[in-house]
Amino acid sequence: MTNTVYDPLEQALIDRIKGGFTVESEEDMTPGYKKALLTQLTVQGDTELMSAPAYYLAARDAPTINSRIAVTAIVHDELGHANIAYRIMEDLGADKQHLVYGRQPHEFKHPYGFDQPLENWAEMVVANGFFDRAGITLLGDVHQHTSYGPLKRALVKVDREEVLHLRHGESWMKRLAKAGGEAKDALQRAVDWMFPMTLEWFGLPDDLKRHSGQLDYRLKGKTNDQLRQVWMSATVPLCEDIGIAVPAHFDEAQQEYAIDCPFPCQYDPEAKRWLFDEPLTWEQVFERWKARGPMNERYVEMVQGAFGSSFAN
Amino acid sequence: MPTDAELWDALGTVTDPEYPLSIVDLGMVYGAAMEGRTAHVTMTFTSVGCPAIEMLVTDVRDAVGRLSGVSEVDVAIVWDPPWNKDRISDRGRKVLAVYGVVS
Repeated sequence: MTNTVYDPLEQALIDRIKGGFTVESEEDMTPGYKKALLTQLTVQGDTELMSAPAYYLAARDAPTINSRIAVTAIVHDELGHANIAYRIMEDLGADKQHLVYGRQPHEFKHPYGFDQPLENWAEMVVANGFFDRAGITLLGDVHQHTSYGPLKRALVKVDREEVLHLRHGESWMKRLAKAGGEAKDALQRAVDWMFPMTLEWFGLPDDLKRHSGQLDYRLKGKTNDQLRQVWMSATVPLCEDIGIAVPAHFDEAQQEYAIDCPFPCQYDPEAKRWLFDEPLTWEQVFERWKARGPMNERYVEMVQGAFGSSFAN
Repeated sequence: MPTDAELWDALGTVTDPEYPLSIVDLGMVYGAAMEGRTAHVTMTFTSVGCPAIEMLVTDVRDAVGRLSGVSEVDVAIVWDPPWNKDRISDRGRKVLAVYGVVS
């Protein structure tokens, strides 16, 4: 990782934070801190927001009334979490109305995973089991380490609710695996495209990481690779227990999880298939993310169109 | 065959979907008894539209079904008496207070 040289003002805040200082208001911030915090909150809010239309459409595939209630409750939670992130941004001068209704689809900063269609119940529950697990991994780390007091307090509720989403996903993954036959096949197919997609979600490996300041300002505690390991330490054993194959395993010699497929590589969103014979550079991955996935416009339209044009500005 | 205490201990491992306290501490379990090899559990939920009903019933079946001597788990969901927060145990109250949920 590179060592950035900060100007004295920024360095003074970084040193105070290192000494345990909690940032409580805009007056406590430097321009660099504020910019990094706003970027983090935009990604956080957009991720929560774009999970809502994805899950909402998939609720149609729920096999029972109670599981449909569960997914709609999760959609409700996610919208609330998005509101929390944008509301905190509002205190720093951002315009929530613009953030939700004023941006073009490609301007949202959610992960590529929430540009994909969830087309059956297996994909819905793997989204809860994998994507929400990624959410908890990332937000749990922010909750534990963030130097921004208002965010730390707000995340208490968010983290608890995410646990429900995750348990819903894992409980159903176990049920589908146990059922065997077509149910288990569908589960395996969902895992096949969603596992590498969530690995990618954690971003650049540490040895290539461009310096973002998020660690120096203690907006998070763990690096991308550490977070990817935390995620695999939960998802790989879960899948192994239920007899679902994943392209990763625990490497006893290295004492960490190893990825067993070309990573990163090209993805065919129409076929929902990873093209393992087409490895990519991370620059090419960022291009794919930037071009957005097949459901980007539809999901944003669903969110922005929900109350007609009267809310747009 | 599990004793009543073993049944309740097993139920005590089933936790609320969001907070780290059990459905027993939440006061959601109204009764548990063995009849032959069948475990009968009577429980309620904190609301009729609770999104976690199926998930918790699955967890109850797994937790109790794992006990030796149990070959069937019968879960009866009842709404009378209705649940309210007075049913939460002192221990449960302490856990929830940490998260600022109930006093």
